[in-house]
Amino acid sequence: MRLLEVTDLRVSFPTPDGVVQAVRGVSFGVDRGRTLGIVGESGSGKSVSTQTLMGLTRGATVTGAALFEGRDLLTMPREELRRLRGARIAMIFQDPLSSLHPLYRVGRQIVEMIRVHEPEVGREQARGRAAELLGLVGIPRPAERVDDFPHQFSGGMRQRVMIAMALALNPALIIADEPTTALDATVQAQIIDLMVRLQREFDTALIMITHDLGVIADIADDVLVMYAGKPAEYADRRTLYYRAHHPYTTGLLESIPKATGTRERLQPVPGQPPSLIHLPPGCVFHPRCRHVMDRCRSEEPPMLAVAGEGHRSACWLPGAAVGPGAEAERLRDEAQAAGTRRRDKGEGDVAPAD
Amino acid sequence: MSLLRIEDVRKYFPIKEGLFVRREIARVHAVDGVSLEVNPGETLGVVGESGCGKSTLARCVTGLHPVTSGRIVFDGQDVTRLSGRGLKAFRRDVQMIFQDPYGSLNPRRRVGSIIADPLVVHRIGDARARRRRVQELMELVGLNPEHYNRFPAEFSGGQRQRIGIARALALKPRLIVCDEPVSALDVSIQAQVINLLTDLQGELGLTYVFIAHDLSVVRYVSDRVAVMYLGKVVEVAPGEQLYREPRHPYTYSLLSAASVADPDASAARSRVILAGDVPSPITPPPGCRFHPRCPKAQARCSTEEPLLLGVEHRAACHFPVEPGERLTGATRSGDRP
Repeated sequence: MRLLEVTDLRVSFPTPDGVVQAVRGVSFGVDRGRTLGIVGESGSGKSVSTQTLMGLTRGATVTGAALFEGRDLLTMPREELRRLRGARIAMIFQDPLSSLHPLYRVGRQIVEMIRVHEPEVGREQARGRAAELLGLVGIPRPAERVDDFPHQFSGGMRQRVMIAMALALNPALIIADEPTTALDATVQAQIIDLMVRLQREFDTALIMITHDLGVIADIADDVLVMYAGKPAEYADRRTLYYRAHHPYTTGLLESIPKATGTRERLQPVPGQPPSLIHLPPGCVFHPRCRHVMDRCRSEEPPMLAVAGEGHRSACWLPGAAVGPGAEAERLRDEAQAAGTRRRDKGEGDVAPAD
Repeated sequence: MSLLRIEDVRKYFPIKEGLFVRREIARVHAVDGVSLEVNPGETLGVVGESGCGKSTLARCVTGLHPVTSGRIVFDGQDVTRLSGRGLKAFRRDVQMIFQDPYGSLNPRRRVGSIIADPLVVHRIGDARARRRRVQELMELVGLNPEHYNRFPAEFSGGQRQRIGIARALALKPRLIVCDEPVSALDVSIQAQVINLLTDLQGELGLTYVFIAHDLSVVRYVSDRVAVMYLGKVVEVAPGEQLYREPRHPYTYSLLSAASVADPDASAARSRVILAGDVPSPITPPPGCRFHPRCPKAQARCSTEEPLLLGVEHRAACHFPVEPGERLTGATRSGDRP
């Protein structure tokens, strides 16, 4: 049994303008000692999905199932979920400054967290553990720094405090939502290094949510790409980077300058993501897709198995057409030609940039 | 001849204390002796981490901050102490694109009047001519000219950044300082804006100073790249050379630390994980400012400040990294007090 198994999760928010369909049927799972990366741009639903698991999306309409250690997080009583949160599942957020209380010493905040879940632990003992944790995440002179306030730490050090807090009760799963986005490159490297090391040490499962394909390349075992509330592609890390199937994944990879330094023109994905209130019919990506076919405009593709084990993609293109190679490109072009009867260019075609 | 010459520019911000008598108790050395040149038609990239002074430098260049000392020479003329008419003329030639496409556009004004602002300030054309120019500009940056009556809130982040670019172009400037122009945008939109900036440079013969923390973006757009650390330029070189053979240990570490979207390349390289944090710019370390974190530091580094030496490829280091040399992190993250 997997540690966490999410099936067909759907989340929507009623608003005065209409129902925002933030997540529309996403399934994923993660095992102990493994890292699942969830990539997507703003509005892709990557954060909402995991916040829903933690019961942090108040007022949302939620359906689906999320089995964690065999119990459904979505239907369990709030009190029970509260006991799990922090103890069995911990969360690290993007902005450590607003996640820490500015008026309390960091030690006290860690102690509080330990004692809420384990009331039998004494104050002094919990304090000792807090200092130990700060040392573990690489904060110098932990015994003294326990008594510092959040503003006395730098951004990277604050994120270490957050990680120490997340580890305090030895959780089985850590959900990290853009943990390095607010940090500089050298600090980001420190934090990723630390997270990988701690994960190995404690055999924790990790869900890493980010928009940064570089971070995913460093840390994830498997990757889920999300677009407009739906899963676009799921694969192991190498497959995703070198043998991607979904045109959106390819588009993302071609949007970033190559590491080799060639100055070939970037190939941005034209247009912009759709409104989550008024979604396009058929495949949600079709208005921006390079390989759009007739059926894409009316039929929504499910996650289909494509070339390679465990590789799935929500796209009507032939399953063998993976990666940037000439053969795959030929397959894609053929499929597109065969699947496009209407030749008239016009409405419904690729939208102009922006 | 260079279009822009920055000569030993310093910018200190005073820290004051006291309720009635405000005494200066310390200074933030935001930019501390920077000299750089920018040639016409080229893009100079400036990289560095937060607090290194890159944005302050940008603001000094565009005249938004008066400099504490040093000179900024634009097109042969010292512009650091300009005022009145001279300053206004200089500001026609030098424009800025800001990072935050939300904060840099007034939400209560229509896009057309935002873009026309520079024309109004400099009294160029009448209302009709301005409107024509605004529509031209909107077309140029890939916006629908019919939308000039809309408010910023009706546009997406990428489109707003295009509005900021159109405004910067209104006066046909020669130099544009771009301060993190794409870092607030989603990946797929980033590429659109980068392509736009590159195209405009070719069409209009613009010169860019491109400030960013994203190393791969800077590498992509820049002809030459300057690396800043704690208010100083530690290395400057033609882009490819800097990325292939960094001479300064800080540049080396920065490049090795950056994430690349390529799992094999990421696994193959050796990372230098720097210990500790960037020191405070209020009391920068003596000697070389990087020495407390440097894997190659020796006694001399803590006393004697290295100069930015070299011709094409300049680095401020007593013991620069030799070609082919591999640095490893002297310490693991955070192990050192």
